[in-house]
Amino acid sequence: MPVVFVPPPYRGPTGGAAEIRVDADSVRGCIEAVDARFPGFQAQVLDGQGRVHRFVTLFINGDEIPRERVDAPLGEGDRLEILAAIAGG
Amino acid sequence: MGGPTGDRMIRVDMTKQTAEVVPFPDAWKLLGGRALSARILLEECDPSCDPLGPGNVLVMAPGVLSGTAAPTSGRISMGGKSPLTNGIKEANAGGNPGQDLMKLGYRCLVVKGQPKDPGKRFAVEVDAAGAKVVPADAHKGKWNYKLVEDLAGSYPQTASFISIGPAGEMRLTGASIACTDQEQARHPARHAARGGLGAVMGSKGLKYVAVDPGKARVRQPEKRKEFMELSKKYTKDYLAGPLMFKHGTSSVVPVANILQTFPYKNRTEGQSPDVATLDGARIVESFATRGGGMHNCMTGCIVQCSNVVHDRDGKYKTSALEFETLTLLGSNCAIASWEDVADLDRLCDEVGLDTIETGAAIAIFMDSGGMAWGDAEGAKRILREISQGSELGRAIGNGAVATGKLRKHHRVPVVKGQALPAWDPRPLKATGITYCSSPMGADHTAGLIVNPGLPQDQWVRASQEAQLVNAVTDSSGFCQFLQPNLDDIRSYYGLLYGEEVSREQIADLGWNCLSDEWEFNRRAGFTEKDDLMPECIQQDAIGPAKLVWDVPQELVAQAYERLPLRPEMFAQKAAG
Repeated sequence: MPVVFVPPPYRGPTGGAAEIRVDADSVRGCIEAVDARFPGFQAQVLDGQGRVHRFVTLFINGDEIPRERVDAPLGEGDRLEILAAIAGG
Repeated sequence: MGGPTGDRMIRVDMTKQTAEVVPFPDAWKLLGGRALSARILLEECDPSCDPLGPGNVLVMAPGVLSGTAAPTSGRISMGGKSPLTNGIKEANAGGNPGQDLMKLGYRCLVVKGQPKDPGKRFAVEVDAAGAKVVPADAHKGKWNYKLVEDLAGSYPQTASFISIGPAGEMRLTGASIACTDQEQARHPARHAARGGLGAVMGSKGLKYVAVDPGKARVRQPEKRKEFMELSKKYTKDYLAGPLMFKHGTSSVVPVANILQTFPYKNRTEGQSPDVATLDGARIVESFATRGGGMHNCMTGCIVQCSNVVHDRDGKYKTSALEFETLTLLGSNCAIASWEDVADLDRLCDEVGLDTIETGAAIAIFMDSGGMAWGDAEGAKRILREISQGSELGRAIGNGAVATGKLRKHHRVPVVKGQALPAWDPRPLKATGITYCSSPMGADHTAGLIVNPGLPQDQWVRASQEAQLVNAVTDSSGFCQFLQPNLDDIRSYYGLLYGEEVSREQIADLGWNCLSDEWEFNRRAGFTEKDDLMPECIQQDAIGPAKLVWDVPQELVAQAYERLPLRPEMFAQKAAG
C-alpha cells in the first residue's frame, strides 16, 4: 500500500497523523482514501473541480510531479508527499 | 577567531548631532541583527524610559553574515523600546542597507538622544570615510518615495537609504522604518514595520540614513574557499528544490483561508468570501499584461519572493504585496480587490506605516460603525489624510488600541498592545503561545507554527523551538524565507570566523537573545498579565469547529522555561 506524507499545515483533519498508509493505486485515489478516513483532508489538496490547488506540490518517491498528473499510478511501498508553501509576511 | 577584522560601530548622538565611529567589541562577534540589538538595549537603554523621549536607543544592526557571499543574508534589524507595546522591539527588513553597512565593516548604528527642537530634521551619512550627521530640514514631511527620488539626485547610485515618512515624523506608534530595495529606482518598499520604531526614529529627528558602500567588496571569511563552496552548494540545493516562495507569500491566501486563518471583518470570521479576488494568483496573472514580476529585494538573494506590482497602465504601483497585507488591509476590512489593497500598500509605504497594524486599526473603525465594511476609497482617504494630523488619522496611525479607544470599541485583537497578524491563534494554538510569550507581542515572525493537528502536549515545545530558531535566524542576516536551520547557520558562522560553532553554542545564542529581551521587558514592568490573549479571541468562535482561544495560561508560562535540547530542533527550518 502506498504511504501518504501529510505536511504539518494539513494535519488538522488527520488529528496530527503525519504518515498514512492507504489502499489505493493512484495519487487521486490516495487523497480520496485519506479523506474517507479523515474528512476535510481532500479539500486542502484538491479544488472543487478535482484539480490540485496551485499552492500544492506533489512528490512521488522524492520526485516532483506536475499538478496535472494527479491520476498518476502508485504501487506498493510508493511514497506520496504533499507540500504546501506556508509562511508569510 | 579569524575572519573579518577591524569591524566598527557608529554611535550617533542626536542631542549634539554628532556621529562617532568606534571599534566593535570582539566579544560581540557572534551577535548580529536581533541578538545584537537585544544585548545593546539591555546594556544601554533604561527599560523604564519614555519610548519617544531622549532616553530611548534606536539600533540598526545587520546580521552576522550580512555583506558576505552567503545567499539571501542581507537582512537588517531595527531595535528599540517600542512606543506601541512599551516593551523591547525588533523589526526586520530586507533591501540593501544591511549589505552595504557590513561591506563597509559597520556592524551597527546606535542612535541616542534627541534634538532640542522637535521641528528640526537630520540625516546620517555613512561611507568608507566614516559617518556624520547633516541637516535635513529640506526633506521634512516628505513621503518616502518622493524623499528617495530627491535623495537620488544628491547621492551616488551605489547608496541605499533607511527612512521614515510623515507617520514617523509625527511619532505615530504604527510608524515603520523603510529600507530601499536593490532596484535601480531604489524603492523604499522594504519596511521594518512592527512596533512603531519609525516613531522612535522620528522622535530623534532622524529623517533618513544614507549608506554608500562605494566600491567596498563583500566580506571575506576566514575559510574563504570552504565558505564559497558551502554557498554554492546551498544555492544549488535550494534552486533544485520546490521553490516554495517563487510566487511570493501572497500565494498563501487560499490555503490560509482553508485553514480558517484568513481573518474577515475584524477577525469575526476565519474565512473570507473574497478569497478568489485577494489570491496572489491574481497578482501573478497581472504580470502577463502589465509587466512587473518577481524579484529579489536585496543583492545576493536567491529566493525572489518579492513581487513588483504594476497598475492597469503598466506603471509601477508597489512592491512586496504580501500575504499579511492582503489579509489585514484586505480580508480583515472586507476589502475585496487586490488592486485596492495594492493602493493601500503603496500608501502605507509612502506615509511609513505598518500594514498589519494599520489594517487592524481600519477594521476596528469599520467594526465600530465608523465607515462601511469594504470601503476601500474611504480607507485610502484616511491614509492620505494622516499627514494632515486629523484626530481619526492620528488614531489609525497609532494603531489598533488607539483606534479602539477613540471608538470605545470592545473588539481590539492585540497582545501586548500590538495587533494580531493574519496567522490566527484560534486554529493555530502553538502560534498563539508564541504571541503570548514572545517579548515582541503578537508577532508571527517571532515563531510561526502552522500545524493545526499538533497535539496539545507539543504546543509549548513547538513554540519555544520556533522562537529560538527564528531569533537565531533574525540575528544571522538570513531571510526567514530562505528557511535556514540552526545547523546551516552554525556552519556558516564556523567558516566565517574559522572556529567551529557547536549546536549548544548556536542554541545558546538564540536562548540568550530571548532571555535578554524578556529581562528588558521585566525591567520595563511587564508581568504575566501582559501574556494574555484578548477577550475577543477567547470568546469569538470561528469556523465550523467553533474555534476559540482556550489554551490554559499555564502552558504560556511554560514557554519561558528552557526545555532540553533535542536533535530535531537543529534541522527545523525558520518560519515566519
